[in-house]
Amino acid sequence: MAEFVTVGDSAEVPEGEAKAFDVSGAEIAVTRIEGQVYAFSDICTHRHCNLANGGEIDGFEIECECHGSVFDIRTGEVRNPPATEPLETFEAREVDGQIQVGV
Amino acid sequence: MSEEGDVPRSIVIVGASLAGATAAGVLRAEGYDGSLALIGAEDEAPYERPPLSKEFLRGELDFEDALVRPASWYAEHDVDARFGTRAVQIDVHPREVVLAGGERLSFDRLLVSTGGRNRRLEVPGSGLPGVFDLRYHRDAQQIRDAATEGARVVCVGMGFIGAEVAASLRTIGCDVTVVEIFETTLYRILGPEIGRVLEGIHRDHGVTMHFSDSVERFEGDGRLERVVTDSGKEIDADVAVIGVGTEPAVEIMAGTGLDQDGGIPVGPGLQTAVPGVFAVGDVARHDHPVFGPIRVEHYDNAIKMGEHAAHAMLGSSEIFDDPHWFWSDQFDSKIEMAGYAPTWDRMVVRGSQEERSFCAFLLDDGGVIRSTVSLDWKRDVRRSFGLIKAQVAPDPKALADPDVDLRTLVPEGPEEEKA
Repeated sequence: MAEFVTVGDSAEVPEGEAKAFDVSGAEIAVTRIEGQVYAFSDICTHRHCNLANGGEIDGFEIECECHGSVFDIRTGEVRNPPATEPLETFEAREVDGQIQVGV
Repeated sequence: MSEEGDVPRSIVIVGASLAGATAAGVLRAEGYDGSLALIGAEDEAPYERPPLSKEFLRGELDFEDALVRPASWYAEHDVDARFGTRAVQIDVHPREVVLAGGERLSFDRLLVSTGGRNRRLEVPGSGLPGVFDLRYHRDAQQIRDAATEGARVVCVGMGFIGAEVAASLRTIGCDVTVVEIFETTLYRILGPEIGRVLEGIHRDHGVTMHFSDSVERFEGDGRLERVVTDSGKEIDADVAVIGVGTEPAVEIMAGTGLDQDGGIPVGPGLQTAVPGVFAVGDVARHDHPVFGPIRVEHYDNAIKMGEHAAHAMLGSSEIFDDPHWFWSDQFDSKIEMAGYAPTWDRMVVRGSQEERSFCAFLLDDGGVIRSTVSLDWKRDVRRSFGLIKAQVAPDPKALADPDVDLRTLVPEGPEEEKA
């Protein structure tokens, strides 16, 4: 059972944008698609670039700005190389206007 | 052996490169379960070359982290990986690849991804110890070993490789001088205006640059001691790194008519004139539906062509119309470029060249956007892909306005592309 940690206010993550949070030392990106929040590792599995800052979100995909790797935000699966390893994903929820991530 | 158009049972990939390894991965991911051989002259499993002039050269990345796939992947996926093995000839009748030593591998489909090789600088002393060029892992390792902090380094040529090596070695504390034949850095690719912005970045970081000059000879008693230029400059040096361009490694195609100086010609779908034989990456001269016949040396193109050729070998007849994209890291700056524009008529800029943060659009004489290049400017180069593929002439005022999302400038209709 994941332990949920409050990372910030819901207003910090508008629709279609991503923001990185430090969650117990782990860099985790939170995004909001169709109103729902999603959390995933902010570190691209290819060359360790940060995804939230500069990554392009298109539907349920995020594209790393460094070398173009594309991941599915919901599952972490690689949708486009050069990355070959999936992103770690985390449970995310909103409680009383706060975003919580399960780690 | 299968007929053309049938499902292949034997595929050989010559060139254990990023393109070749990507194709192998896609073939297996798509369920192809026939024989698959991957032949490479280098001893290592396929690796990514961009870090060789950047993170690896600065000692920030282990070589294993530059591998396209873990070295164990190939055996695990039943790939007959022959690393350290040179393929010497292609026979079209019968369809066989001849390896050094005489072994023959038959194929239904062949992918050639042999890449390029560095142009040589044929001047006296170019064989002296201390004079390097950079293409392979071993080259980067040798430069890294020789160019320690305080070493006097001369970079010959300031294209992308030369500029990246200069930046990386300056960053780790070498004393770096550049000798470049053109009037500024990256002149041929980016033109004088953008080239001078990058020149300024290098100058601010303490790189000494001599333009409109070239190397007359390397001198030294048993190893490199100085570089002498055409204009008579004598530059004391411990290390020289030559980066004066590449040429495609086409000789494997000797006898087929495809071993052309400009690269192996391939059609829009990446197939050569020989049915079932494909070429991708730096070695391929591709009949691009937007840009015409071009050969590029881009990392992303190697991946995309490798993927595309894998699908093509399995029967897809789609054309390859990627708009091309690459990046370069120099000091803390990132350059990105998309499209293809050997010349252009007009440049429209959003952002500021003075502040070294901008995106420039290179337009032809009809105002059609041919290429986009940015310096420390997020997103817009990749957002311009749809515009470049659509071959349209956007309103220059919209291009110059940072608040206009480039994706909204692509005309609606069948040509609309996802950015």
